[in-house]
This record gives sequence, structure tokens and C-alpha cells, in this order.
Amino acid sequence: MLAVSSLLAGSMVPQSSAAPGQEASPPVTQAAYVPKDKDERGLWMMADEEERQLRTSNFVIRDPAINAYVRDVLCRTIGQAECAPIRLYVVRTPYFNATSAPNGMIQVWSGLFLRVRNEAQLAAVLAHEYVHYRDRHFLLLWRELRARAGSATFLSMFGLIGSLVAMGQLSTVFSFSRDQESAADSGAVYMLANAGYDTRESALVWGQIRDEADATAAARQAKSRKDKNGGIFATHPPTADRMTALFALSEKVKANGEPVNGVDRYHAMLATLWPSLIDDQIKLNDLGATEFLLASLAGGTWTADLLYARGETYRARGAAGDFEKAAGFYREAMAQAPANPEVRRGLGLSLLRLDSADEGREQLKEYLRLKPDAVDAPMIRMLAGG
Amino acid sequence: MPTVAAAQERHAVRPGFAYPKDREVKIVVFRPDVRVGTLTAGGLDEPNADWTATARTLIAAEIERAHGVQGATVSFVGEPEGEDGVRLAQYRALFGAVADAIMIHRLFVGNRLQSKKEGLDWTLGEGVSALADATGADYGLFLFTHDAYGSSGRKAAQIFGAMFGVAVIPGIHVGYAGLIDLKTGDVIWLNADPQMGGDVRTPEGAQKRVGQLLDGLPGRPVEAPATAKRN
Repeated sequence: MLAVSSLLAGSMVPQSSAAPGQEASPPVTQAAYVPKDKDERGLWMMADEEERQLRTSNFVIRDPAINAYVRDVLCRTIGQAECAPIRLYVVRTPYFNATSAPNGMIQVWSGLFLRVRNEAQLAAVLAHEYVHYRDRHFLLLWRELRARAGSATFLSMFGLIGSLVAMGQLSTVFSFSRDQESAADSGAVYMLANAGYDTRESALVWGQIRDEADATAAARQAKSRKDKNGGIFATHPPTADRMTALFALSEKVKANGEPVNGVDRYHAMLATLWPSLIDDQIKLNDLGATEFLLASLAGGTWTADLLYARGETYRARGAAGDFEKAAGFYREAMAQAPANPEVRRGLGLSLLRLDSADEGREQLKEYLRLKPDAVDAPMIRMLAGG
Repeated sequence: MPTVAAAQERHAVRPGFAYPKDREVKIVVFRPDVRVGTLTAGGLDEPNADWTATARTLIAAEIERAHGVQGATVSFVGEPEGEDGVRLAQYRALFGAVADAIMIHRLFVGNRLQSKKEGLDWTLGEGVSALADATGADYGLFLFTHDAYGSSGRKAAQIFGAMFGVAVIPGIHVGYAGLIDLKTGDVIWLNADPQMGGDVRTPEGAQKRVGQLLDGLPGRPVEAPATAKRN
């Protein structure tokens, strides 16, 4: 599998190395930055402790090809010298996020890879996190919080009025944080342009996240939470505002020459990872979002793997009518990949829940025949009736 | 009904435990979890790299100098790499969870379980023996201390709050330590105190803190009865 993805990556290199403006990356500020004062060294120490734990964590995805690819995108975007001190960790968490720590540790959550559709969007997220680190946002936010929380403690001793003033004090910390996010967003756009990426992708990613929130809400027959961000106590600006600001900036800041989004390379590099990511996503029991993400991965072409994933999604929810739908998707997948045992397993288990138990048992027997050493073989054998 | 003071226990030992007498046993100390900082006026627990580094050094030196365990060698081990590192991280986390359970359900007043009030029968499981293989030791010692000294602003808030009848806690000084049988995974001894004494930033304070952390560790000479207030 690894050999395949690196081979494909190799074939994509001409496209990405043609990205212009690589040499125009901003000048190096520090080769190896060392924290200076008491506050910063304390925060670095905490981040170092966290990283010490992360290094030995089972949640870190250590696949060398994936890690090398994500790092390559980061370095290509922010510049080789700037990325040298950065440590990058891919963490198995099925949501859209990335974080940076004061000491130069950047974590990328695995759920991000299902939601980001091309290399330029991945680059936008990584550059955003790098700006937080480079501009020492965490340290500045910490000082702001310490100052405001101190005065809030005094104020809250003065009954209701004092508490209201104290709340106002604290809410400015959150507005400070939102300003940092906007700064990181726009800082990332300039880096995208320098690296030759299509800067509009930084805004498009937010459109996708908002559409996903709508899909979740529609499936749950609830109001979409896409505009919910916590109001005055939100750490990040509303996604609609971020998208608007990013679109406006990306009109002004563009790559020299033809901008690239690297979608082919992105797909080639991450294809091996997708089945496990989809598996984690299905377990979130968020059918609307999962369907939305599968459809975006399919892009109109439903492969056997994606049809199987759809079947699993509906079978996992198991609401009225879901097993019929699941069986339908498994059958479509089976038509494309008749020798895939997992498809037989899903179909068999779905049919057992419908009025086709006999056919279900036949499918489970076929699963056992195709995969005799399956870990769940004893259980399936029992369900298949010996 | 025992009084609160009597019911509060700081440590527990597995009943009937004794080190093997036919040889000198080896105890390894895993990298202690040490954090020292400031509790700010606003209640932020602010880390301090210098104080933490000092405390880490002083505590380690004091343990090596004065662990006082009869019939055992006590030594620190470096952090293993690769597979062993991942395994130690998992057992470190498991020990933290088990230690929490022992503190809540065995040691501290409030949520002690009827079936856990006596004895000490927690275990991390036999899989721990992989750590024995990796270190060549018989027992493993885990240590945790967390201190946050009140900032001057916090002290002012404390005085100011007292005038209005508002209680402001002055600082954080918690610590615990546990001994694990690396062959069986059994928790041999656990000692915990949510209000520890000794300023870990000074040699004298670290000496006092280590004495309190290792209080009741099997093989140590029994100290004179502790005073009621341990600050």
C-alpha cells in the first residue's frame, strides 16, 4: 500500500513543484527560537510536558507516508527554514480541527482529512496554525486572560453589578482570541499565495464545514448550528464572517501564475487512510454529516468502498427503513466488488433484521468462506446457523 | 463513627506485604510528574519553568539520598523509547486513574466505599511485567506533585475577600506516590495528601516534601507520629 501511494505521489511531483513563488517565502526570523521570559518559559514547559505524553500516545497516527506528506505540505507553504523547528502530529480524532502549542507542536486531527478536499485547503489550515505559533498568540492570550481574570476576581466580590462588569472584562479576552484567529486566517492567505496555492481554497473550506452542519441538522430534523459559535464568549469568529473575510482577501492576494489546489496529489496520498477515517466517522452516529462527507469524497462516482461505507452508516443507525437502505447500498457495492467479504457481512447482518433471514444467512456463510480467519468468525458462524 | 480527622487516611498498604528477604530488591522510580507555578489573583494556575526544574532536581536528589528503604536499591530510570515508551505511557495513565480511585474510594473521607475501606486490593494487571522486563526491576514507584503558590495579587485578594467574607483559597499543594509490584501489577502502597507541606523550591522544603510523599512506604523506618497540621 505504501509503495503505491509513494509511486503516485512521485508522478504528481511535476505538478506541485511547478508551483511558483516558492523562493518568495518570508525571511527566517529565528533558526531555533528559545522562550525568553518567565511567562513564556512556563507555557513552553507545559507544552513540552504535553508533547512528551503525545509522543507515546496511541492516538498518534504514525504512518510514515501520511506524516511525510502532511509535513511536506506544511514546509512547502510556510517555507523550509520556518518549518524546521515545527513538530507535527496526526492525531486520531474524528473531527475537523488542528491545534498549535507555544513550543512549536502542531496537531492535526484525523477528521480534518475527510473534510478538507485538496492540498491547498490542508495548507491553509496548517499555515493558520503556524501563524498562531510564530506570532506567539498563546502567550499574548495568556497575559490578557491573567490580567482580566485578576480584575474580574476583585469585581465579582461586589455583588451583581460587580459580576456583570467582571463578565464584561472576561468577554474582552474572547474578543482578543477572535482577533487572533482572524489574524491567523489572513496570515495563512499570504503564505498560500507565496507557495503558489489557490488562495480561495482557504475560504471554500469554511463553506464545506457550514454545509456539513446543515446536513447534520437536516438528518436530525433540527436547526442548523452553523452560525452558533458562543456569542461574546466564543474563542473563534463565526464561520460566515471568516469565510467572507477570506474570500475578500483571496481576491486581492493571489499566487503568481496559475494557482494550484493539488487535489490529485491529495487524493493519492490519503486514499489509504480514508477507510479507517470513514470507520471512525460512522461511529459518530451523525448520519447527515457522514452522508455529506461520503458524497463529497465520491464526487458523483460511487465506488464499492464508498457504497459499503454508506451501507455501514445506515446499518449503524438502524432507524425505521435504514436496514432496507443499507441492504440496497451493500448490493450496489457487491455488484462492483463481488469478492469483498465485508460487503457480504454487512448485507447478511442487514437482511437478518429484515424479512430475508435465509438470504442473510447465506451472505454470512459467503463472508466466512471469503474470510475464514475473520476475528468475528465464531459470532458470525453462530448467526449464520452453523 | 470515627471522627473526620481519624477517618482521613494518607496512605494504605496491601495487607500482609513484605519484600522478599532472600535478596536485595530493586525499585525503579519513573520520571516524577512535577509541576510548580503560581496561583494568580484570577485563579489561573500559572506554570513556572524555573521552579519546576528546581523542584524536580531537588526531589530526585532527596529521594536518592534519603529514601530509607531497607533491603532495596532505589534508582531513577530514563524515559524508554519506542514500544516500551508507549507501554510505560499507558501504565502511567492507568496508574493515575487507579490512584484517583484509591484516593476517592479508600483514603479520603466522603466517597469511601464500604467494601474498600479496609485493605488495598487494586491492581494494574499482569501486563505490567513488561515494565519489569524493560527495567530489570521488581517494583516501580510513581510520584506526582503539583504546587501553585499564591501570587502577591492573590494574597491581596485573599485579605480583601476576607473583609467581605469571601474565601479565596491561597494555593495548591497536592501530591501522591504509589508503589507497584512490576511482576503482578498489584498496587502495594499508595500515599496521598491534598495539602502537602514543604516548599519544593528549596532544599529544606523538598526534604520535607519527600518525607511526606514517601510516608508509610514499606521498608522505611516508621516516623514519629505526625502532627495534626502538616504545614
